[in-house]
Amino acid sequence: MTRNFRCVVFALTAVLAGCAGNGEGLDSNGRPLSGNASSGDGGLHPTLKSIQDNVFTPICTQCHLGAAAPRGLRLDEASAFAMLVNAPSSEVPSLNRVTPGDPDSSYIIQKLEGRAAVGGQMPLGQPPLPQATIDTIKQWIQNGAAQSVAPAKVDVTPMQVHAVAPPPGENLDSTREILLQADGTLNLATLNDASVSLVRSGGDGTFNDGNEVNLGAVHVEARSLDPTVLALKLDGAALVPDSYRLELSGSGAQAVRDSSGLAIGGFVLQFTVGATL
Amino acid sequence: MKFRFLLLALLFVGSSSVLHAEPYLAVQQGLKCNVCHVNPTGGGMRNAFGEVWGQTQLPAERVDTGEPWTGEINRFLAIGGNLRATASETDVPHQDNASSFDTDELRVYLEVRAIPDRLSVYVDQKLAPGGSENQEAYGKLWFDNQRFYVKAGQMYLPYGLRLQDDTAFIRQVSGINFTTPDRGVETGLEIGPWSAQLAVSNGTGGGSEIDNGKRYSVRVEHVQSVWRAGASFNFNDADAGQRQMQNVFAGIRTGPISWLAEADYIIDKSFAPNERKQAVGLIEANWLIRKGNNLKLTAEYFDPDRDVSEDQQNRYSIVYEYTPLQFVQFRIGARVYDGIPQNDLQNRKFFFAQLNGYF
Repeated sequence: MTRNFRCVVFALTAVLAGCAGNGEGLDSNGRPLSGNASSGDGGLHPTLKSIQDNVFTPICTQCHLGAAAPRGLRLDEASAFAMLVNAPSSEVPSLNRVTPGDPDSSYIIQKLEGRAAVGGQMPLGQPPLPQATIDTIKQWIQNGAAQSVAPAKVDVTPMQVHAVAPPPGENLDSTREILLQADGTLNLATLNDASVSLVRSGGDGTFNDGNEVNLGAVHVEARSLDPTVLALKLDGAALVPDSYRLELSGSGAQAVRDSSGLAIGGFVLQFTVGATL
Repeated sequence: MKFRFLLLALLFVGSSSVLHAEPYLAVQQGLKCNVCHVNPTGGGMRNAFGEVWGQTQLPAERVDTGEPWTGEINRFLAIGGNLRATASETDVPHQDNASSFDTDELRVYLEVRAIPDRLSVYVDQKLAPGGSENQEAYGKLWFDNQRFYVKAGQMYLPYGLRLQDDTAFIRQVSGINFTTPDRGVETGLEIGPWSAQLAVSNGTGGGSEIDNGKRYSVRVEHVQSVWRAGASFNFNDADAGQRQMQNVFAGIRTGPISWLAEADYIIDKSFAPNERKQAVGLIEANWLIRKGNNLKLTAEYFDPDRDVSEDQQNRYSIVYEYTPLQFVQFRIGARVYDGIPQNDLQNRKFFFAQLNGYF
């Protein structure tokens, strides 16, 4: 028995020896230090940036990250705002994960406090967040759940719009919802049939050769104003297998503009439905 | 003696983990997962053999109740369940310790056998903590004298060792664990020492399907009486980016010790702006000291980004499992996380005592 015990202990201590990283050159989340790295060392404040650095990144993204994210909920810095604010929860779709101004009916708070109708308290397998931390997140929601306060813009660089889901080139099905996020606030009045277009290639997988089919109006729902998050609900019946191009105009009289009236940098997202062409 | 205590202290202080993995029982007995479980890939409801074994062979003593409980209400209906309640204390550096009592899970299982040994419907419902939540719900059809099967519905995906502990690195990082069932179709074979599965599922981690990409899971295992070895492959074509996982796993019995090991390599393209390569590993020893008494020692490794130096994490555990009577098991143990020094959570310690009821 002693020999067996020594065998076990020897093998496991051999694995133990010197495997953990010393963290040299890394921030507190284990990422290489850079000029704009999120250190996560600051105190927790009711801003998304602070909550991201102190809660979402170090705790939640142990699971809610990348293609394996439970319930498809990604809480990395690039995705968290669009995935949370005014986005329906997958467990209880009648509740948004975050409803600005209403923390008590925000599903994320119910999950953190362990009073959600479905599933266990978050973070799973870890001690619950301190109530003070949850209160700070509630305060952020109560304050309007804005994305982190950005310094006032004094330049005239065109505002950029990014695809949060899906990334360019992805194959979508007919129930697809596209999530776009702007760097700041868009003038929603400039989103119209002329400035937002959706065309399909006409079956050849290429554009600009004259046989494209314009699909007409796209239903655009603003999930957030600052920064602007747009959910584009595509009409499933109209989406036949083909390559598609969604465009937000960035020039001319019909350009999509930001809140100061400047035209955005233009945005094009190509995706496919059905078999890839 | 001094050497023994020195190493034990070293292991205890510099390591940890809670783990209540069950695959070691299969290694210990030299059996395939489907010998004891309704699900051919293990976990969840036990079949009649598993129920009887759990009442007669697992505990230190069996209270004579006459005929053992088999879970079978009749030929067409069987039920089962699990309860795990834990008292724990978590020690995070630079923070006050936190202690709590928790119900980790209360699950009930139901199998309706429309055609016994051929066609059945299986449900795994989690009643606590939180509200009721369906974990698995699928129909299963056996062919060719239970050599092949097809099942469809919501299920746990076949991948690697099906450890009970969802926080084990190999289960947490892979994202395939008891919190993330997926909806799809699985087909498998159980021929002699071979066990193999192929599954196609939504790949949404239990969420609603939102794209055309699917998740493909393949698992193959060869089981002998004292050893087993296998490999898994998983590819998820998700909106967030493609994720490819592969692993090898094995088990071997050396006298009273049952060993488990798994090594995973993950390529995830969902991390902007570049793909991330990750490595995860686990070694576990289960020492059957005497009937009903098991000492579990586990060492785990996680490299969250192969292209970044000095970011690796370890987790070690020591757990004592005592099964005094049928249907009840006590666990006491500790986990120690060992990560980069600037992250307190990666260096926390977790101590626990757990009651596991099963029937």
